[in-house]
Amino acid sequence: MADRGEYKREGDEEPEEEVDESDYKTQKDAIILAIEVSDSMLEPPPASGSKKADKDSPVQAALKCAYQLMQQRIISSPKDMMGILFFGTEKSKFHDEDGRGGLGYPHCYVFIDLDVPAANDVKALKSLVEGADAYEHDDDDEYEFLKPAKERVQMANVFFCANQIFTTKAANFGSRRLFVITDNDDPHPSDKSAKSAAAVRAKDLYDLGVTIELFPITQGDGSFDLSKFYDDIVYRDTGGEGNLTEVRSSKSGDGLTLLNSLISNINSKQTPKRALFSNLPLELAPGLRISVKGYNVLHRQTPARNCYVWLDGENPQMAIGETTRMAEDTARTIDTSEIKKAYKFGGEYVYFSPEEQKVVKDFGSPIIRMIGFKSGASIPFWASVKKSTFLFPSEEDYVGSTRVFTALWQKLVKSRKVGIAWCIVRTNANPVLCAVVPSRESSGEDNGTPYLPAGLWLCRLPFADDLRDGPAGGCDSAPVCASDDLVDKMRVIVQQLQLPKGTYDPTRYPNPALQWHYKILQALALEEEVPGKPDDSTEPKYRAIGKRAGGYLQEWDERLREETKTVLGTRKFKRELEDDDDGVESKPAKRTKTASAKPSTSGMTDAELRFAVASGSHNKMVVAGLKDLLVSRGLSSAGKKADLIERLEEWAEESI
Amino acid sequence: MADKQASVFIIDVGTPMGDCHNGRVQSDLDYSLRYVWDKITTIVAASRKTWTVGVIGLRTDETRHIDSIQDEAGYENISILQEIGPMTMSSLKDLQAVIKPSNTETGDALSAIVVALQMLSTFTKKLKYTRRVYLITDGTAPIDADGMDQIVEKADEDGVEVIVLGVDFDDPEYGFKEEDKPTQKKHNEALLKDLVSRCKDAHFATIAEAIDEVDNPRIKTTRPYKTYDGLLTLGDPKDPKHPSPMSIHVERYFKTKLAAPPSASTVVVKSGQQTTQSQHLDGEEMEGIEGITNFAAVKQARNYKVDDPKAPGGKRDVEFDSLAKGYEYGRTAVHISESEWNITKLETTKSFSILGFVADDKYEPFLSMGESCMTVASKYDERSRLALSSLIHALYERSSYAVARIVLKDGKDPLLVLLAPCVDPDFECLYDVPLPFAEDVRSYQFPPLDRVVTVTGQTLTNHRLLPTDELSFAMSNYVDAMDLDTFGKNDNGQPAEYAPIDESFNPVIHRINQAVRDRALKSNGKIEPIPPTLVRYATPPEDLIAMSKREINSLIEAAEVKKVPPKAKSKRKRETVKPLSGLDVDALLDAQPKRPRLVTRDNAIPEFKQAVSSAMDMEHIQEASKQMGEVIRGLVTDSFGDSLYARALEAMSVMRTELIELDEPDIYNAFARDFKKRLLAGELGGDRREMWWKVRTSRLGLIDQTQSELSGVTSEEAQEVCETQSSCHCVRLASLPPFPSRSAMHLPLGQRMRKLTRPSVSQSKVAKSTRCNDFTVLLK
Repeated sequence: MADRGEYKREGDEEPEEEVDESDYKTQKDAIILAIEVSDSMLEPPPASGSKKADKDSPVQAALKCAYQLMQQRIISSPKDMMGILFFGTEKSKFHDEDGRGGLGYPHCYVFIDLDVPAANDVKALKSLVEGADAYEHDDDDEYEFLKPAKERVQMANVFFCANQIFTTKAANFGSRRLFVITDNDDPHPSDKSAKSAAAVRAKDLYDLGVTIELFPITQGDGSFDLSKFYDDIVYRDTGGEGNLTEVRSSKSGDGLTLLNSLISNINSKQTPKRALFSNLPLELAPGLRISVKGYNVLHRQTPARNCYVWLDGENPQMAIGETTRMAEDTARTIDTSEIKKAYKFGGEYVYFSPEEQKVVKDFGSPIIRMIGFKSGASIPFWASVKKSTFLFPSEEDYVGSTRVFTALWQKLVKSRKVGIAWCIVRTNANPVLCAVVPSRESSGEDNGTPYLPAGLWLCRLPFADDLRDGPAGGCDSAPVCASDDLVDKMRVIVQQLQLPKGTYDPTRYPNPALQWHYKILQALALEEEVPGKPDDSTEPKYRAIGKRAGGYLQEWDERLREETKTVLGTRKFKRELEDDDDGVESKPAKRTKTASAKPSTSGMTDAELRFAVASGSHNKMVVAGLKDLLVSRGLSSAGKKADLIERLEEWAEESI
Repeated sequence: MADKQASVFIIDVGTPMGDCHNGRVQSDLDYSLRYVWDKITTIVAASRKTWTVGVIGLRTDETRHIDSIQDEAGYENISILQEIGPMTMSSLKDLQAVIKPSNTETGDALSAIVVALQMLSTFTKKLKYTRRVYLITDGTAPIDADGMDQIVEKADEDGVEVIVLGVDFDDPEYGFKEEDKPTQKKHNEALLKDLVSRCKDAHFATIAEAIDEVDNPRIKTTRPYKTYDGLLTLGDPKDPKHPSPMSIHVERYFKTKLAAPPSASTVVVKSGQQTTQSQHLDGEEMEGIEGITNFAAVKQARNYKVDDPKAPGGKRDVEFDSLAKGYEYGRTAVHISESEWNITKLETTKSFSILGFVADDKYEPFLSMGESCMTVASKYDERSRLALSSLIHALYERSSYAVARIVLKDGKDPLLVLLAPCVDPDFECLYDVPLPFAEDVRSYQFPPLDRVVTVTGQTLTNHRLLPTDELSFAMSNYVDAMDLDTFGKNDNGQPAEYAPIDESFNPVIHRINQAVRDRALKSNGKIEPIPPTLVRYATPPEDLIAMSKREINSLIEAAEVKKVPPKAKSKRKRETVKPLSGLDVDALLDAQPKRPRLVTRDNAIPEFKQAVSSAMDMEHIQEASKQMGEVIRGLVTDSFGDSLYARALEAMSVMRTELIELDEPDIYNAFARDFKKRLLAGELGGDRREMWWKVRTSRLGLIDQTQSELSGVTSEEAQEVCETQSSCHCVRLASLPPFPSRSAMHLPLGQRMRKLTRPSVSQSKVAKSTRCNDFTVLLK
């Protein structure tokens, strides 16, 4: 019974994850990577003797980066779109179906049209990345589109081309972004009208709701001067967070290849920053409210659900499922308007009208209300039920929110305190109690989580209802305590096997099951050979462990053996004594049979039980006693007596 | 829990129980029943066959219980109202009907207990049961103390818990004493107390105390669930040369598990009953039935469709059996044959292995991804218990946590968990929480909180976004003043943590349970307010607020937070539309050659936004909106299937938002009504009902008064216009809400425009029909 409950509940939690209903736009993201093709962008870095030196030209690095990004996005956001546009090319190409051809946007080449990536797109990009050598020598026609144009491309055209792609392909996406990768900080040095035209087209993109993200590439000691051109193109973050996020340029050097530098810059912008909730009032004290936004910085990534494929057509096609509802008694189809919500009660239904439902569930409007503060240490380690939400201030509803938020954050960090808050994060969301915990500045020395942003976190606390009891009878006898000597031996081992920097760094541990799933899928989709063995970085490094602590482990084991012997000895002695006591106490006749069976079953050790099964005396046990025995060994206690006995016998066989 | 329960309630229904006492407005019986019903409905709600209930009436008018003793003296006026058995809704209804004050004043409570014990022993035999007898009485009828010894003996022998709850019984511990107590009652109280004190397992309390308990949430306990039972290892125990000796037999259990609030099921009124019920049932009862019985559960059936350009609507049904299973890789469907289905699954074997150790001060609670578990050594394995104990103590002494990989069963996906030691005098274990993988951490960028970096790269430490020293000081004082660590009180009255976890209850779970129970008892009752215990932690404790008044005031003063009035929000946004350089792009736009049209399909959204934001007069806005309307209709007309719907919707949404911000909701509303009419009339390229459905679900219908003060449309009207069912939308079009008079629309925009008041109702009524026509023409 209990077991089944666990599984069912997993599904029930779903509604909590819903995005804000009032936001009707699809919560999807579309990215166009616009990569400039020019002589300087195609030029590989000067050759150097070092093996590790950069070999990629900027375009190559950008393509490799795009390839990686595309693979990542298929895993992390399977519904999001991506496209690749080259500009400054000799050839021009727009949508295939559009009659205009390349005429409208000269020197713009749509390499991969904006869409959810298909296996073919991945393939095309892959072959471009792998065939890198070919296009550097101008002898291959296949890569002719990577030939730079003789005249300058009009940036206005590039922007309008992107505008058209976004308008037609991702019309009502919640997030649309144009990533511009270029090394040219001044595309129109002497042409003022071209510059203004570009600014106007950039404004169009802004009005369309497209964000332009610039990824400048610099080579050698060169710098990328935004004021020459791009300051007229790029707009301030509409998030209203006041502060600017700087534009970082990618370059080779400092032990970092251009590729790595570009990947890290693009990765930081990979996922669009979607707020889980916006402008939620945070009531710090009666009469003092500020507004905050919440972000899902941590989110368990899982493989997409399986789908059903229709194979009878020309191409395999996904079948879209539709649900119809019907009444259980008559099996007639039901219209949505007929559906009512009722609670099961004693085998029947108890009904509330929708208005009454509202009254029942009404705990007030959305808010995070601080009810006081506790020391961080007062929150037990196990007080965790859900991933936490990151909070960041927003000036939109209350001017001054940021400074108050910062003051609170600084105080909590300094005094190692946490806030306790009553939270209703959305209309109709269930109220919960949360600890408001500060994360530290990422550059701080003793920060254990440098990969997470600094701010406050809403950590949901369990209610008394969410606590589970430990194992049945787990506390019946005092724990067996290891001696100081044994603990000392283990301490050495703990000391020897510290993880790097003594912290857990999630970036070192990709999810092996998720990676494997998509690796196989990719191979199947691209019709490549299926890889043989997965990489699993979550497996313990056995060799290192053996090398660093093997000897200590042996020492610990020897000591453990000795102590086990002593403990077993005293135990046995004690038990005999207890048994004697028992015998004296439960003398008085009559209930002998059950009375003697009962105490012995619950306290039976594995060895005793195995003996009982072997001798057949378990057949004489009462059902309740059998159930106790089964439950205490983690086995099911369902069924008739014969089932229970059988299960016990199975256990005895297996556990030898 | 799989426990079996049998409870017998003895309810005193004697005439005096019908009276009110001690200032209560409820009769003693109704008052006591609050407790009884609460107990019983809890059992009904659990719908467990093994939780059984019997009910005995004491001081009933008739005598009807166990045949063998029924006719004996001293056993009169006792009736079995319900034999022991599972409780259902209908047995609850039956009981409600029979438990009423009787016309009898005598009946022996001890005899009733004998009957109850007899019932229990007959029903439960010698099986494993939790047996309880509840006696609820006001103790005003004479009780014969003879045979008390046998009763005590029987109760103890059968393992029955006896609970005596008296109406206005004295209880010094609870702090209740009834003045001027009748002698008979005094005598009975002493007698019953004596009985309770002699039983092994028995309780005695005044009913008020029990009723107080009713409001306290009761937690449903779940049997401990073992998530893992196997070895915890460090190093490789299977290494051929040097196998690691550290493999400890452990069991891992849930420590926290989110309890889900009861969820409402989807039901439908049973067919055929709607019309008949009113004929044979009278008012109140009918409502009872309606609220409870005649619903049928709803089942779901799934059918599958694929795109087919030849089929009507572009889609056709396919047989489920003809479909292959597969996954999506991007937009490519990858099918995998049944025999290879596990190919994408990582092969794993059940294991729990430690990767290494980390310092405990580097862990932050927000890193945990979910529910926690606890790991203990296998109960009957001394070696493992010693081994785990040494690990727990070593971690504790070195202030370390362990990172471990766990595979719950063969083939399950591996998880990384963080193990923390718990060392209590009588309990040792390792707690663990799940850790994020690399993919689970999203790299969102946020600006630093404690400094401001300007466009030119300068770092400022003095800025309106940064706290002043005064604010930091006030905040520090405030946080310290509102300390909860010692604000609560423990059982001994000592300072303790306020709002500890084991005293905070999930408000929703208990709220719904309470409402459902109330509704089950009284099907037409009003919804009771939320019990205060459930919202105790919704606000800071009042005493603490009062004590911290000074700190609060100085914090508010130093914070200088100002609420942005709702109107100003949109305007503020408008100012910031400039690129980083601050270049005035609008001026550039104006300098460009005039376009023949304001809004073209290719670049509709930017052009519309730019047109209305630079509009100098009303006509300009109307013209832009008219053209936008044309673009939207054109998109729908030219759409192949639903190919252009998304663009049309996006354009509508931009038009709607912009016009709300410009305080011109009626322009949009007129467009939307006209658009719907044409859509449904088939003027826009055939059957476009799906488009209207999308308009509805995207919430792009009429702008109502809640969204714009200047809208003449109520939310009910807006709702109604959205419905597609009505065949008479033309009629409704004639009763259009008022819009500003045309003359007003010609006024130049600006400050004066905003001050315009709405035309009075009478005025608008007169002009209604003509104006409506004007507008339709305007938008054509």
